[in-house]
Amino acid sequence: MLANIKKVFSFVILLFTLNLCDAVEIPERFQKSNHTNNWAVLVDTSRFWFNYRHVANALSIYRSVKRLGIPDSQIILMISDDMACNPRNPRPATVFNNAHEQINVYGDDVEVDYRGYEVSVESFVRLLTGRVPPDTPRSKRLLTDEGSNILIYLTGHGGDGFLKFQDSEEITSQELADALEQMWQKRRYNEIFCIIDTCQASSMYEKFYSPNILATASSLVGEDSLSHHVDSAIGVYIIDRYTYYVLEFLENVNPSSKKTMSEFLAVCPKKVCISTVGVRRDLFKRDPSKVPITDFFGSVRRVIITTDPIDIQEVPKRRKNISLNKTKVQEKREYLPQFPMHLVKTTV
Amino acid sequence: MSKQDSKSIADEANRMWASASFVGVLIVIGLPLWWKTTEVYRVALPYDEINAFNTESHHITTDITVLANDELTAATIAELLKKEFEQYDVIKLNIKQQILSEDLQQTLDAVAEEQEALEEVAATFDTSLHNAFYVVQRKQLFQDVWVGTERVAFFRDTKAAPTLIEALKSWIYEPSVLHGARSETADAARQVRFPSGEGFHVVLSVVHPKPQAMKVDFDAAEAVEDYIGSFVDELTDLHNFTLKSQWLHLLEFNFQTNEVPEASLWGRHFPARYERLPLLLTRLEERAATHVSDRPALNLALYVAPCDVAPLAMYDADNNRVMSAVQAFMSPKWGGVVLGNPTKEECEQKLYTPDVKLIMGTFISQLRKLLGITDKELIHLAHLEPLRSVVPRRWELDSLLRIRTLEQVTSAERSLKSLAKLLGEISNIVINDEVGASINQAVASIHSARRLMTEGELLAAHHHAQQAFLAADSAFMEPSLLALLYFPDDQKYAIYIPLFLPVMFPVILSLKNLLLWLRGKPLHKEKTD
Repeated sequence: MLANIKKVFSFVILLFTLNLCDAVEIPERFQKSNHTNNWAVLVDTSRFWFNYRHVANALSIYRSVKRLGIPDSQIILMISDDMACNPRNPRPATVFNNAHEQINVYGDDVEVDYRGYEVSVESFVRLLTGRVPPDTPRSKRLLTDEGSNILIYLTGHGGDGFLKFQDSEEITSQELADALEQMWQKRRYNEIFCIIDTCQASSMYEKFYSPNILATASSLVGEDSLSHHVDSAIGVYIIDRYTYYVLEFLENVNPSSKKTMSEFLAVCPKKVCISTVGVRRDLFKRDPSKVPITDFFGSVRRVIITTDPIDIQEVPKRRKNISLNKTKVQEKREYLPQFPMHLVKTTV
Repeated sequence: MSKQDSKSIADEANRMWASASFVGVLIVIGLPLWWKTTEVYRVALPYDEINAFNTESHHITTDITVLANDELTAATIAELLKKEFEQYDVIKLNIKQQILSEDLQQTLDAVAEEQEALEEVAATFDTSLHNAFYVVQRKQLFQDVWVGTERVAFFRDTKAAPTLIEALKSWIYEPSVLHGARSETADAARQVRFPSGEGFHVVLSVVHPKPQAMKVDFDAAEAVEDYIGSFVDELTDLHNFTLKSQWLHLLEFNFQTNEVPEASLWGRHFPARYERLPLLLTRLEERAATHVSDRPALNLALYVAPCDVAPLAMYDADNNRVMSAVQAFMSPKWGGVVLGNPTKEECEQKLYTPDVKLIMGTFISQLRKLLGITDKELIHLAHLEPLRSVVPRRWELDSLLRIRTLEQVTSAERSLKSLAKLLGEISNIVINDEVGASINQAVASIHSARRLMTEGELLAAHHHAQQAFLAADSAFMEPSLLALLYFPDDQKYAIYIPLFLPVMFPVILSLKNLLLWLRGKPLHKEKTD
């Protein structure tokens, strides 16, 4: 009896505290982002000509984030197949994302970091976790730090709990969640915004468990994400529905615009998308309606004006390093004989 | 018992021994072997030691000697110092007091210049030691406190104590910056300076958008070698540097600016608006090709303004013109840019000769901040001798060593703790012998760095801290940790079950018969006719 009363009592207290928590408003300063740089990881995972639209998706997003100010050095672009040079492409060296063919998204300054068969689950996970082979150039590394906001965009063919890479392997949602957790533990990001445009896309973010991640997906589990329209001149579908409406939205964004993330999350309602756009916001601490979209799509670069040059009185002369030996004898090199006659015993 | 019976019993026994040997091979030997060989390889790690790390508890001990003319002054100053610094747990002062000898007192009072007085002090006391600082009384001061480039501060008398403490706090020891270096979230200073690292790649790019219109007389290679080289040589205890210079021609940038008339030789200037400046960095980055080095790059760029937009004048965030001898800006963790404005005369003669001293002085000023030497704020009644050369002040180096030591030790501890936590959370991370060795090395280095920090051996502490930092980082980022990426636990069974289940079925089914037989029970009921 006593125990029962105790239980009820503690339950009431619990309810009370829950109510209290609800009532506490998040202070305004928590809404302000304290990120110091922006990165984008844009991945197209599928190859073959009929997946033209996935390449167009990734390149269109690439174009948008670049227009909004993220420099190429902070964009990792992974494109699984080279549609621009595909022999079936009637317009060689171009990739379009619209049947009007107004914008060639494969313009003259596209820097693809991982291409073709380099795009694999392994290279993607290595990129995220930072565990790249030691000879990887800096342009192919995700050199983020504790102040980085990262935009991750994934497109390709997915299923319930996985995303297919290259038609031969897949990354599971658990692997992706683990990779993000390892990034968090190493303080390699401040906030992540993850966009997934695949079939059953929301299954990819369900396993996430690291803090400060906002995720959105083009379709819920059990739904297909559909393509938008065919370009009859090219002969394939050239863009996916979700990305099409995202781009339409992003076209009206400029580096100084005040649009918020919640507007972005509401893009592509069911009647135009056909699939339901999924959002996961429980890991994200800030209120999306108070987060400007430029926190993820734009780029902050603090600039400090220097007004205190050092008044150098006399020209310094560096003490020369004696170890720099310039009179090193050149190594002698010669060609090997074309036919290894020296190995053959001559009978003459 | 008939002959047939005994034969069937013998048959039975043979069969049973055969099945027992299958069981023996498959279950008794095979199963543990399979378990052992498919185990995720992990070297034993010092988890207890790693989990015991307390990243917020580090402190550095440092020596300070108070030299005064009389016992009372020395004692008062020492007491005040002790009281003031007791509130900081990140730095512990080891205060000594001493009376200045009669000779030295007289010489200090006799010499007119502070610089000479410094030399006198240096002749008696060893100011070349890292982590040792001298506070010396000198009655002939114009201000309360005077600080120069050596590890010495002069003060006038006991009344100067508050100013002296303020100077020690915000110039010499910077406990708030030290606190920021070991805390989890980055403070303002940490947001500007580059993260700790083994080495940096310094690139000076001379950007000349219109080489056809004007010649630029500037020896970039020599300037880098002499100015930047002399500067980084002073920091060899902290980092290694590689230096490079390059010319970038035809890299145009549109400042989107209109002519503003003014009363000067040019009769005009072109505003470089604040919001355009980050875009200039992006434009520079496209061509700077700094990723040729595997070290983090410190970008320095001299942008030679083409004559048709010269002179460029920078405007700050509030849209006020920046009035400074040099038009320059820097971006945290990236580098600095100086806008080189040719004069009207130079444009007419088509030959621009930049003021090398001024430009390199600006770059050095930016480099200092990017590498972690903080700005020194003005303090009322205290005088800080301005820098006249590229060489940093000696006590600034000590301060930098302290910051980096703390930063690296705490970062190494955090990496190891995170790794230990991840190993618990994610089952298929492999820890091979090499990674195990570097983790053990990191742990050992952390312990010795910690000990040396408490003892006040700054240089050695920094060395060990850096080793710990590099070892911990390389352990965390080691590619071999992902060796089992394509072989996660849940998929292990998908491979083994079709392989082993058909073999295991008859073995497991025969177990029952085997057990019955071992207990001596008849397997088949005697058939009675």
